[in-house]
Amino acid sequence: MTTKPRTSHWHAILGVTLLAIASSSCSDLRSSASDTPPAGAPANSITGATFNFAPNDPPGEWHSQARDYANTRYSTLHQIDTSNAAKLRIAWTFSDGTENGHEAAPLVVDNTMYVVTPFPDILFALDLTKPGEPIKWSFKPDPSPTAKGKACCDTVNRGVTWANGKLIYNLLDDHTVAVDAKTGKQLWRTKMGNVERGETMTMAPFVAGKRVFVGNSGGEMGVWGWIAALDIDTGKELWRAYSTGSDEQVRIGTDFKPFYDHMKGKDLGVKTWPADMWRHGAGSVWAWISYDPQLNLIYHGTSNPSPRVPDQRPGDNLWTSTIFARDADTGMARWAYQTTPHDEWDYDAVNENILMDLPIRGQIRKTLVHFDRNAYAYTIDRTNGEVLLAAPFAYQNWSTGIDLKTGIPMVDKEKQPHPNVKLSHVCPPDLGGKDWEPAAASPRTGLVYASIFNLCMDVTDNKASYIPSTPYDGMDIHRYAAPGGNLGEFIAWNPVTATKVWSVKETYMTMSGVLATAGDLVFYGTADGWFRGVDARSGKVLWSQKLGSGIIGQPTTYLGPDGRQYIAIEAGIGGAATVHADLTAHAGEKFPAGGNTLYVFSLGGDTQ
Amino acid sequence: MRLLEIVAPIALLATLSACNRYQGGGTAVPPKSGIPQASLVATVPLGQIAGGLGSTAALSIPNPYQGNPQAIEQGKELYVRMNCAGCHAYNLQGNMGPDLTDAYWRYGGLPVQIYNTILEGRPQGMPAWGRALTPDDIWKLVAYIQSFGGAEPVAGWDHARQGDQAGEGIAPEAAPEAPGNKP
Repeated sequence: MTTKPRTSHWHAILGVTLLAIASSSCSDLRSSASDTPPAGAPANSITGATFNFAPNDPPGEWHSQARDYANTRYSTLHQIDTSNAAKLRIAWTFSDGTENGHEAAPLVVDNTMYVVTPFPDILFALDLTKPGEPIKWSFKPDPSPTAKGKACCDTVNRGVTWANGKLIYNLLDDHTVAVDAKTGKQLWRTKMGNVERGETMTMAPFVAGKRVFVGNSGGEMGVWGWIAALDIDTGKELWRAYSTGSDEQVRIGTDFKPFYDHMKGKDLGVKTWPADMWRHGAGSVWAWISYDPQLNLIYHGTSNPSPRVPDQRPGDNLWTSTIFARDADTGMARWAYQTTPHDEWDYDAVNENILMDLPIRGQIRKTLVHFDRNAYAYTIDRTNGEVLLAAPFAYQNWSTGIDLKTGIPMVDKEKQPHPNVKLSHVCPPDLGGKDWEPAAASPRTGLVYASIFNLCMDVTDNKASYIPSTPYDGMDIHRYAAPGGNLGEFIAWNPVTATKVWSVKETYMTMSGVLATAGDLVFYGTADGWFRGVDARSGKVLWSQKLGSGIIGQPTTYLGPDGRQYIAIEAGIGGAATVHADLTAHAGEKFPAGGNTLYVFSLGGDTQ
Repeated sequence: MRLLEIVAPIALLATLSACNRYQGGGTAVPPKSGIPQASLVATVPLGQIAGGLGSTAALSIPNPYQGNPQAIEQGKELYVRMNCAGCHAYNLQGNMGPDLTDAYWRYGGLPVQIYNTILEGRPQGMPAWGRALTPDDIWKLVAYIQSFGGAEPVAGWDHARQGDQAGEGIAPEAAPEAPGNKP
């Protein structure tokens, strides 16, 4: 392992982190988390952001999709850095034999890599200690094929989570499973939903302490959205909170204190809907969860309301397109903030919430940073739900801003769809200014890095019927590039000033997760298959490699048994990115075919 | 009664008949020949017949509403109202569900095969509509799909039963009447 000189300040931070790892007990994540204070920001940080990297997993491993509770996707590894990134070469590859979009991040625990496929949701363990990284075991859960036809946006899986020797993930047909990491044998399997109601599960479970948090998908299928907590040892459900319905069903009690007035009142999850429509009003919980161990709060978003035709459901449609803070033990809501009331464009609020402590207007605030599909980046006080900053990060024209006094967006009436009326040039479209693909944050720069979209749509609403197991949808959409002509963009964002620092424009969509490293590198991929390493400070592209298919996966990094740093990413286009399969952005080029290959890179590559 | 209980509160579904069916697709003039008998349609197998080199003539059942503009319009209305567009897209070119305008049909592209697919559902997510829609409405949906040109012509039924494409060449030894292909 090579080391590089760092500033003394940085050494100090690393030292604190390593000390915390050494003193933490692997069996009790909660206590190790609470004992770790946020480290100070390095002198050359652009924002002064600090983080809590609990549960402080070993630097050379990658245990959960977001790597840490705060959802930073930041690695302290720095063998690969801005000086040598151009020397990255393919070390090894692995093909999993499945079709459809590959959205999951590969995990590394104890010299074993774990990758999960899209439907039929096969889990592979690859032995990193042997040449060629052979399959150690594979687990085939055999989900029901009926689920394939209930998944709105491809039969994807957003990843597996390792905790306490178990690999935990969701199957498309609404089961959560736990698998023994050593043997590949199933430990428990819990049926969480019903495909006949249009429910599927695509999100990665999130584990904090003894609890596994999962939620359903199906915002286009008229499901009843929920998040649930399971016991990690038995798979038994501990609580479930719905996104619509009575306060009891939503798990709203006396501790619930939303910051803004229009979210205060009894049973708003019923009263902000026409009679009974909340019963299949969606608000599914299909993406990311983060956790503040000191506040003991989890943070998650809810999906768009169903049907997608707003004129059928007058009202704010709480608690859809909403960010929730919930007590991790009880699931009781502490605060909520609806990003898009009466969501008329399918904007959701499910995107990741990155927990950062930021100096805002002269005061250190505990915040969450959230790039909403509605194209606004929010910096929100995570203790009480107050919106501190909100500014567009992508091209949009549905609103003229967010009123920070009320928290309510100012909607352009010209961009409100109505049944049987063709509405032109609404931006962003249903896919948003950014979709589920998670951003990363670096404590070295204090910036957040995100793959975003540059899209608009023409839309005609058609009244939808509620027929269980069929789409409760009604949007007839034609999408195309927003001004500029590029479909994708990779940006660095300053969450203290709510401004873009730099960006790389991409011809095709950018719908990959992001990895940030202590080598001052950020990695992302494009829908046409380019995987890039970028200087985190300048935005200069230092290295690019064309892969076998488009990239909508999430890059991760680890140390091999040889002590060298590797970067891993899956290539396999699918998901919402294929909506542009018929667009030929470059003359004479066609959109790439599907794929199913994991690529692993090292400095100089590995050959025998 | 479960379906009725679930959908009954939805005001926009204007009417439900007493037999759990959704309001039908209007009043296109019923064809003189009437709609095909259910018992005959039921003889069309989903898979290939074991031990039988020949095939059932029921594959050649035509759609009584094929080309009927009024029925096609009513089929279109059903296609939107029954949420077919949510999976197969408003232009029928597919999204969650397969493209209905191309020549590739997983479960057969003859009118009676498309009819059975709608009636019975299929294992990868296609619901069975036999309880929610009348045979008359299903034939109108088939007529709407046929109007996009992707369905197989009835005249080529013997060809289409193996998923072959119209207009392709056939080697003499592979023709249905070839000696080795006779039962």
